[in-house]
This record gives sequence, structure tokens and C-alpha cells, in this order.
Amino acid sequence: MLNYIIRRLLQAVPMLFLLSLILFVLINIVPGGPLAGYGRTRRINEEKIEQLKRQFGLDKPLPVQYVVWLVGNDWMHIDADGDGVAESYGERKGILRGDFGFSFRSRKPVLEEISDRLGNTIYLMGITLLVVALIAIPIGVISAIKQYSWFDLVATTLSFMGQAIPEFWLGLVLLLIFYVRLNNPITGDSLLPSGGMYTLGADFSVWDWAEHLILPVTMGMVGWVAWYSRFLRSSMLETIHQDYIRTARAKGQKERIVMVKHALKNALIPLVTLFALDFPYIFTGSIYVELIFSWPGMGRLFYDSAVHRDYPVLMGILIISACLIMVCNLAADLAYAYLDPRVRYD
Amino acid sequence: MQVIKAPRILFFLLIAVLLLIGLVGCGGQTDQPTAEQPADTGESAQAEPPAAPEMAKSSAVIIIPQDPLGFNGLVADTGYEAMVGELVLLAVSEIDPNGNVYPELAAEIPTLENGGVAFDEENWTMDVTWKLRDDVFWADGEQVTVDDVIFTWNAITDPEMGIWVDGVDYTDSLEKIDDFTFVVHYNTVYTSYQTQFGGENFNVYPEHYCDASQGFTAWDCNRAPLSDGPYILDEWVTGDHMSFSANENYFEAGKPGIDTLIVQIVPEQSVRKAMMAEGDADLNMWLSEAEAKELSELSNVYVSFSPTERWVFRLIPNLVERGTVDPAGPPHPVLGDVRVRQAIRMAVDVDTITNSVFLGYPKPVWTEFFRPPYVCDVPRPVFDVAGAKSLLEGAGWTDTDGDGVRECHGCTTAEEGNLMEIELMTYGEYGEELELAHQLIGEMLGEIGIKVELSVIEGAVLWADYESGGLEQTGDFDLNLYDDGYPGIDPTDNQLWYYYYTAAAEPDYGWNVGRWSNADFDALLDEAYTLDEDYRKELFCQMADIMDAELPQILLWSAIGADAFSNRLEGGQSTTNDLPTWNVADWTINE
Repeated sequence: MLNYIIRRLLQAVPMLFLLSLILFVLINIVPGGPLAGYGRTRRINEEKIEQLKRQFGLDKPLPVQYVVWLVGNDWMHIDADGDGVAESYGERKGILRGDFGFSFRSRKPVLEEISDRLGNTIYLMGITLLVVALIAIPIGVISAIKQYSWFDLVATTLSFMGQAIPEFWLGLVLLLIFYVRLNNPITGDSLLPSGGMYTLGADFSVWDWAEHLILPVTMGMVGWVAWYSRFLRSSMLETIHQDYIRTARAKGQKERIVMVKHALKNALIPLVTLFALDFPYIFTGSIYVELIFSWPGMGRLFYDSAVHRDYPVLMGILIISACLIMVCNLAADLAYAYLDPRVRYD
Repeated sequence: MQVIKAPRILFFLLIAVLLLIGLVGCGGQTDQPTAEQPADTGESAQAEPPAAPEMAKSSAVIIIPQDPLGFNGLVADTGYEAMVGELVLLAVSEIDPNGNVYPELAAEIPTLENGGVAFDEENWTMDVTWKLRDDVFWADGEQVTVDDVIFTWNAITDPEMGIWVDGVDYTDSLEKIDDFTFVVHYNTVYTSYQTQFGGENFNVYPEHYCDASQGFTAWDCNRAPLSDGPYILDEWVTGDHMSFSANENYFEAGKPGIDTLIVQIVPEQSVRKAMMAEGDADLNMWLSEAEAKELSELSNVYVSFSPTERWVFRLIPNLVERGTVDPAGPPHPVLGDVRVRQAIRMAVDVDTITNSVFLGYPKPVWTEFFRPPYVCDVPRPVFDVAGAKSLLEGAGWTDTDGDGVRECHGCTTAEEGNLMEIELMTYGEYGEELELAHQLIGEMLGEIGIKVELSVIEGAVLWADYESGGLEQTGDFDLNLYDDGYPGIDPTDNQLWYYYYTAAAEPDYGWNVGRWSNADFDALLDEAYTLDEDYRKELFCQMADIMDAELPQILLWSAIGADAFSNRLEGGQSTTNDLPTWNVADWTINE
């Protein structure tokens, strides 16, 4: 197993390198550029455009820009003042030494930009995933056990609806109902807040934070609950028709024990794998949820960076996401091997 | 068979998420360093975490769609930087909604009449003497002096870490006379001198607080400013909100009128509207026409309109062959002929567009000289489809095969038989109204036999610099539709030179992207760099006639300047000359 892990990690290195190269090229060949805004609103002259390009490192050919992004420029002379003479060492260390560069927009270090938002996204998406698990698992199990019952039919119908409803539209409808239409009968205020993580200016209270979670979590979980419950239903149906379930019943075990101890535990194995593969969403967040509910998270940071051509922030988010996806893939494989003794990687 | 320990996994998941809630809940309200908590010094304020914004006193909420990138509108220009900059920083002078320049840090506006401007006619140079108020203090108690103005100017114009601003090319130096007097030495006549150290984006920074070695574009002052304005930044939670409290040492007695301001980030437009309707916000900036109409129907909201217009929707024709940038090069096969441009102007029914798409709010505009104080009497062009067709016939564009699209039969700019077809581009970020207007104009041009391909392009692509492949800078377009206008009150540099002067046709040097070149216009503009206001107006009106005849751009209608204020907030006034927070110190709350 250890050999397998080491082998997979070693395989990830060239894959990440290749991925970073492809992403860097793709981002940079998209028409337009980070100086577009400066150009039109600033009526900036050519000399100053060159100056900004030097400040951003955009004055170098693309391959050199990539090398600087990767390994920095503190080992090479650069032309800081544009006089054509490379007279001083650069200050960048490159991502291999933990320097992801600085944002073209805010001029803050990329890692600072990401760390400002990461906690908020982990908080929202972590709770969303937990709620998804708490709702989807019972629905999937009961649907399978009571196949073709009214519960199964209703759950099946709702899950199809959940998968079909556009997330953005759902968010707006939730807002319309719970923020605009419905009022708190005691205070007369809106029943639920329009967005944000907490009430500005109010003292910290668990209820206030929880209240702000209700709509974004609901919007984020609907599709996932639909998908996970359907997946678990199928897995459970497959499991309960296995021979060992029949054997357990033949031994006279109670039906609840047969279902929970023998059927559910095995049916959950593929779900855990699926869960591990979805785990990177905890880092990347959901753009739609964060936009509609004014949630200051990673999804919005990514969206803003893409719209404004903030290449360093975009690359930072994409590379960290890629690393997470690879790690989670490996974790999913390992979890599968751990949980299902029939699977061996040695 | 080994089976999964599902309950244990769920238990661990639950513990992990509860830990997350605890971590985020306890740490989520940490803030950026502020002026009172300098990041670099880390003194007493760091030991004392910022208090949550007080709501018990009077407070107002401003909602904006995205984080400002700082308080420095010169470094990052989404407009929100300048908006929050107005809350905490002062400039030497400002412009009111009617276009009048008024002093802010200055004691008075220097003019020829009051002796503040010394004009050297022989060398065609000038010196301007500014006197500052002596009763303005930074939040830490230091006095605002000339040293701060000169420090700011030097930081802006630093060759390595500075940025370009209006007037930089005309300014030789700033000379300190005493703590409250300085002289600006110009190498020519600079007509916008009154707003050089003010206007939308320029603010004065404290020399004793900002670290010059960090450079103007990247210094901490841009995100953690030391106030001399009406408010002090208390807290900034990136992506969520900023909170400000009244500056007790603000130089205007009894102001600001509101104790606490909160700037809340609400990305979704429909949510911002709902917040205004529910009374959860007091200012929603920069409304579109549809938003203005919708919000003006709410009983708890008033929509303020700017008394002067600035942004004008216009068609920008490429006068030279597509993909080329030389004004003397081959003409554009369709738009290179002025009769075609005239026909296009006659074929566009501006009133129909403004009434049907923009709900009747905009005014028709057909000349750059429509804003006071420079207003020229240029007759409004007529909407005349038959006249437009006749012009095209006369220009050698006829439809001989009856397919509805004209071909060149004797035209002067294209090969015989070529179809009269162009691409009409606009940008997508403005929204639905512009896209509808775009389609209508396409149909109107189709009516007169021009085949139009409609394209909606990202602004970042349309206006990118030459090397990044910007479509305008590289000349890779036929006809563009968007809104534009000059800041301040003087069009000489910011509109006339950058958009129409021949030298501004050079890629990345200006925005004469249609590559129009007219020697008479250039000569008049050269002459307009004078302090004789009457003569300038006369020259401008001569330029207006040339532009009206040649149509390097086809101006159509003005966009509204409108902001929505809650009824409880008094004193708010929209302006296109500045940000909606231009008079924030005067605002009050009336419950």
C-alpha cells in the first residue's frame, strides 16, 4: 500500500507540472488582458503601459513568465526601470517556494487573497456537505428498502426535480419567498436575511450565524441531495439482493440489523468514494451560491479574478484546486481499498 | 467480510464541521489593518481588536456589487475605490454636480483674476499658486500640509512605482513656499489645472504615514488609509463589508451627519434592489434606466438624477482598412466614405431607442460639446431613412440584385461588386438595454441596405492594449457601439486629444481608434490650450462643425447618472462629475 501511495504521489508531480503549463498558456492566450481596464478608463500612454507591464512581469515572453511564476526571479537580473539594462535581482520566489505572486488588482499576495476567503467557503461548503449526507442517506436507504412505495415515488420525483432545477433560479426563488415575501411575525422583519455570513453590527450569536446559513445551504444542497440519494438508492438495491443479506435473514437476524449492519454499511462504500471526489468543492465553493447570497468565499474570488483577468489569483486557485483533486482522488482510492477488502493495490 | 464503519465516519464528519463553525464563527470577523491599526508599526491598536460596528447611533448602508480594491482610485479604477476614497480622504479641489470646481483642502481656487495663476505669454507657460486650509488634520493629529500634497505627487509620478495621471506631462515641478502654499510650474498652458489635484480619483496622502519605499501603486496606504476625510475605516472584511465611523476631528464643524457607514458587498443586482425595497440599504449606486424606473416606484426610495450628463452612447466607425492602424493607410471599404457615415447617422432612430429601450430617460446627443460650460449650437441631425438611402446611392452603393444588401457599383472605397457588410460590436457588461439597442441599430442599418453582423464582446477584449490584441487598438473592428465620456469639466485632453487628435491614433498612445485624421481639427486643438475661456469656446465650436461634417464618431444619446437613496437618508445627490459619496459629510438620517 505504501508503495502504491508513493507511486501515485510521484505520478502527480509531472501531471501537476503539465497541468500548470497548460493552464498558464490557456489563461494567457485568452483575448484581452489585465491592462484593458487601465487602458480605457485611464487613457494611459504607451510608456506607462510598459511600466505597468514591468511591474506585473508581463513585459517578458510567455515562457519566461511561466518560469518566473514557477521558480521566481530572485536569481536573475531584471530591468526594473525600463532603461533596457537588467540591473537588479527580482523579488519573486515562484510557487515551488511558496510564492504565488501578487494580485494584479489588489496588489496583495495571492495566498493572502485566498486565505481571506478560504475559511468562509470551507465553513459554508462543509456544512452543506454534512447536511447533504444527513438528508440524502436516509432518503436513499428508505427509498431502496421501500422500493415503489409512495415514499419512494415522492423521493424519486423530488430528486429528479432537484437535479433539474437551475441552481441560480432556485436561489432567487428562495430569496423571494424567505426574504421578500415572508416576515417574522414578531419583529416584522424579513423572515430570513438576504445574504452575508452574519448581521452587520450585531453581537456574535450562534442563531444569527445559523440563520444566515439556511438559504445558501439549501440552495447548495438541493442538487447534491438529489444526486446522492439516487446513488445510494441504487447501491442499496444492489446490496440487499446479495446472497449474504439472504444468509443474514436466514440466520434469523432482525430486519433492522440486516439493513443497517449488513446492507447499509456495504452500500455506503461507493458513496464514500463519491464523497471524497466531491471534497475539493469545500475549497472551490459554489460561484452561484456565493454570488446570490453575498457570501465572501472562493467561488466569488475565482469569478472576479476570471472577469478581471487577474492571472496570478486565477493560477493560484486552479493549481491548489488541482492538487486537492489529485489528493482527494488518491484518498478515494485508498478509502475504497480500506473499506472493501476485495480491492488491492499491491 | 470487512464493512465500513459508517456511523464512525459520520461522527468524525460532524466533529470536523462543528470545529469549522467554531473556527469561522470566532475568527470570521477579523479585519484588514486600518489606519488606526497600521500593519507595519503594529502598535497599541493591534492589541485591541476592532469593535463590531455600532448600530445604535445613526447609520447608513451603501451596497455595491464588488469589493473596492483599496481606497486609491488612481491605482484600480472600478469606481468603488474612489467611492470609498471619498469617505476617508480629501483632495485639493473637487467638482460639484453642476460642474463647478470648489476647494476642499484648498482655501480657494486659483484663477487669473485672483492672482493665483501667472501666465507667461512669451514662453507659453504658467505657474499656479495653491493655498491650503490650515485647519485640516489627519486622524492621528498631524496637520495636513503642502508636504503631503508634494509627497503624493512625487509618489504618483515615480518612474518605477508610479502611475499616469492627468497633467503629468505638462507639470515641471511642485515648489513648496510654506506649509500651506505651493506653486505648480507648468511647461505649457494646462487648461485642467483646477482639478489636477482633485476630481474623482485623486486624493492627498499623508507623508508621515505612507511608506514611499513601497511605491504608490502598492503601498499599504491604499488599503489602510489614514483619514483626513469625514470617516475613519474601522473594519474591512474582504468580500463582505467595510465599516466606517465618523471622524471626530473632521474640519467641518458638526459634520459628518451620520455616525456609522457600512459599505456592504452584494454582488447580485436583484438582491440589491430587494434590499432597497426592504429598507435594508440606503444607497444603491449607478442605476440602469430599468432599475431607476423600478426603484422610483418604491415608496421608501428616491432616485436622484445627475443634473449633467457625461456618458454618451456612440458609434465608433473604423475609417481605415480593418486590422490596420495607419490613418493614412487604405480606407475602410464601407465606413471610409463620409457619406456612408452620414447615412448611418440618418438611419438610426434615436428617439425610438431611447423611448422603447431606455424608458425615455436619456437625452439625444449629437455633438461632444453638449456639456456646460462648452455648449455649441450644432443642429440636431434628422432621422430620415429615405435621405440615408439616397446618400448611399450617391456614394455608389446600390442593391442591383434585389437581395436587400447593397453592393459597390462606383463607390470610392471598395472593389466593384463588394457587398456592403459590416460587423457591429458592443460590450456585454453593460447589460440587456445595450444589447437591445445594439439589435435595433442592426435592424435600422439593415433597412437601408447594410448587412450587419452583430457581435457582443467582452470589454476586456474590446479595450485591451495593442500587444494583448485589444480589438480597438489593433483596428480589428468595423463599427462599435458603447458609452463613453470625459471626467471633469474640460474636454481638451481627456476627450478631444485622446479620441480625435491624429497622434492619438497610434496604438496604445490614445483612443483615436477610428484612425481619424484632420489637420484643421488638430490645429484648432493645438490652439485651444489657452487660458482665454471665450476663445476656447469659439475654437471648440469650430471643431464641433468639423466633427459634425466628418463624423469620426456618431454620438447618439446620453446615459443617465442615477443613484437610489432611501427616504431616511437626506442630502444624497447623484452626480456624473464625481462619486455618489461626493458630499457624504452632508448626509443625515431622518428616521
